[in-house]
Amino acid sequence: MIRLTLKDLKLFITDFKAVLLTFMLPIILVTLFTIGFGGISGGRKSNPIKLLVSDQDSTEMTQNIITKLDSLKELDIEQLSLTKAKKAIREGKRMAVLTFYKGCTDSIKNGNNVPMEIFYDESREAEIGLLQQALISNLIGMIGQQKIKKNIFNLIDEKNANLSPALLSSIHQQVEEQFEKLQSKNENPVTRGMSLKMTKLFADEEPNWALIQAVAGVSVMMLLFSVAGMGATLLEEKEKGTLKRLLYSPINPLEILFGKMLYTFIIALIQLFILFIFAWLVFNLEIFSNLPALIMLLIATAFACSSFGIFLASICKSRKQVESLSTIIILVMSAIGGSMMPYFLMPPFMKKMAMFSVNHWSIQGMYDIFYRHLPTIHIVNKSLILLSIGIIISLIALNRFKKHILKVA
Amino acid sequence: MIEIKNLHKSYGKIQAIKGIDITINEGEFYGLLGPNGAGKTTTINILSTILKPDKGDVFINGIDLKTESKKCKNFIGIVPQEIALYDDLSAYDNLVFWGKLYKINCSLLSKRINELLDLMGLEQRKNHKIKTFSGGMKRRINIACALLHSPKILLMDEPTVGVDPQSRNFIFEALQKLHQQGTTIIYTTHYMEEVEKLCDKISIIDYGKIIAQGSINELKKLSKISESIIIHSDSELKNKTEIISNSIENKFDVSDDFIKFYCKNINSDLSKIINKLNAIGINITNIELKKTNLETLFLELTGRKLRD
Repeated sequence: MIRLTLKDLKLFITDFKAVLLTFMLPIILVTLFTIGFGGISGGRKSNPIKLLVSDQDSTEMTQNIITKLDSLKELDIEQLSLTKAKKAIREGKRMAVLTFYKGCTDSIKNGNNVPMEIFYDESREAEIGLLQQALISNLIGMIGQQKIKKNIFNLIDEKNANLSPALLSSIHQQVEEQFEKLQSKNENPVTRGMSLKMTKLFADEEPNWALIQAVAGVSVMMLLFSVAGMGATLLEEKEKGTLKRLLYSPINPLEILFGKMLYTFIIALIQLFILFIFAWLVFNLEIFSNLPALIMLLIATAFACSSFGIFLASICKSRKQVESLSTIIILVMSAIGGSMMPYFLMPPFMKKMAMFSVNHWSIQGMYDIFYRHLPTIHIVNKSLILLSIGIIISLIALNRFKKHILKVA
Repeated sequence: MIEIKNLHKSYGKIQAIKGIDITINEGEFYGLLGPNGAGKTTTINILSTILKPDKGDVFINGIDLKTESKKCKNFIGIVPQEIALYDDLSAYDNLVFWGKLYKINCSLLSKRINELLDLMGLEQRKNHKIKTFSGGMKRRINIACALLHSPKILLMDEPTVGVDPQSRNFIFEALQKLHQQGTTIIYTTHYMEEVEKLCDKISIIDYGKIIAQGSINELKKLSKISESIIIHSDSELKNKTEIISNSIENKFDVSDDFIKFYCKNINSDLSKIINKLNAIGINITNIELKKTNLETLFLELTGRKLRD
């Protein structure tokens, strides 16, 4: 078995193109994905959401609301006419416009429904979700404050109908001042109750999720492509007749399969280690924060992926079949497993499907290590799942190998 | 040494072998001759233990192949039809890899590799990658790989397909040396010249059955067709029939421009006939020899040519 593995490693090393593709391509892709996800500029500071506002009411109150929204760090407000704003959204330049219609201020003052509306690009659902989080809590707080103030004034007027207008006006003034005081102390009773306070859990030590996503996602996806190619060498042996010659020799036929698996596992492990060392050197990924857990997870990932490579070879009849089938399966697995888009942005049904992919368990394990900083036991669990996946598909591959590949004559 | 009894093998509905019986003695150079699809490779695959027969027995050195196949592998060397080598490894590295599968120790293996490279005339190219070799050179390394563990029995499945004349000669010389050293060789081919040149005994196989078996001379005797010499001449042959019959013992047929002499031994009769025809004044313009060979025998037995 070892001799077969060493032979394959020697053949691999002599193939300069294969070495380059196996190790350089993932590095290039990780770099591109990291840049694409914004991981280099630093995930510690997220960019504010650009929101268009069309103020058709143009009153002091609506302008105050707009100014307050603009002061929020989550939002970057730009005012435009509704027509121009809609055009910008249609052209994909912006994702939404918040419109204050004529009569907005009056409605707020009278406690009626406020005529305002958001037009958005539904294709940018994920960003709209973030916008909702940032906008609704603050906007409702501001408008709600105005409405409550109006209700208090009405109540005072009703209960004190016998008071002179001057005195009532003075009471209104005092209530107004109290609202202002509370607001200046950031103790607004309305917004305190209605707004959703958003505090980042990781504060200033927030890890760079974009980098983690790029490294974890690309590393597993590229690994699957590499191992599919390596697994195909089993079929190459069959096509070239060397498998037949191996069977002539006194070695156990299963040693041929295990030799291939060991070779694929070694290259897979080297590929993962190189990629993570690269991410550490170039992007400061903290690979030493829980090194034992990382090593365990990488070993489990390499095992699961190498088993997948051999499994593919065992179910295909030729190398060409492996090439086409592997592309389809790997792309699907990577899409549902979170290699192409972060798991938290996936719709619920995809999140369920992700459980069936190698990518998911490996990527989430890496999030546990680098992002969530979870204890090693969490990584043990994910590693065990990966090992189980590896064992199951290895057993299927073994069965297929006996029935299918060994029929060489 | 090798005993094959009532061997049968089918692939689905196709019966590849239909009851073959062969006995091969130690040190024999045995040929399996037949057209493509005759069942030669299937027989080799069964002997090499990678294929199980449906019915029948094979004993190698008294060992039952069915029950003790692993034991047999150590004294069988197999040269497959394909060039089963790693193109990106050197000839030496290929030989090292295949040799180590037989657990030959390093120093012995190195010595053996050098001997075999010398035998195959490729010692100068040992560090070159296989992909730089010609087809014939690859074939020679292919054979060397099967000899690394010094097998007592060598199974060769069409080892000279696509080989240039120089490599073919190297291969023949190497095989003759091995034969002289006592190696039992089973050689499949559809080239009857190779069998005639190399083999002591032959089985002619067609459609999974042995249609003739024996030494070359024994097989030739099976032929009902006599060997003949056809002499073409511009002389008036029919007028000289009586003179010819008086001077030459061989039976003959005469026509206007040629005479056909039937011979028991074409080689010894040829010079006598030519000398006597010259003596009686017949001017020879052309000579045709009709020899009985395995090709003609196969044609006679099956109605088809060997290379059909």
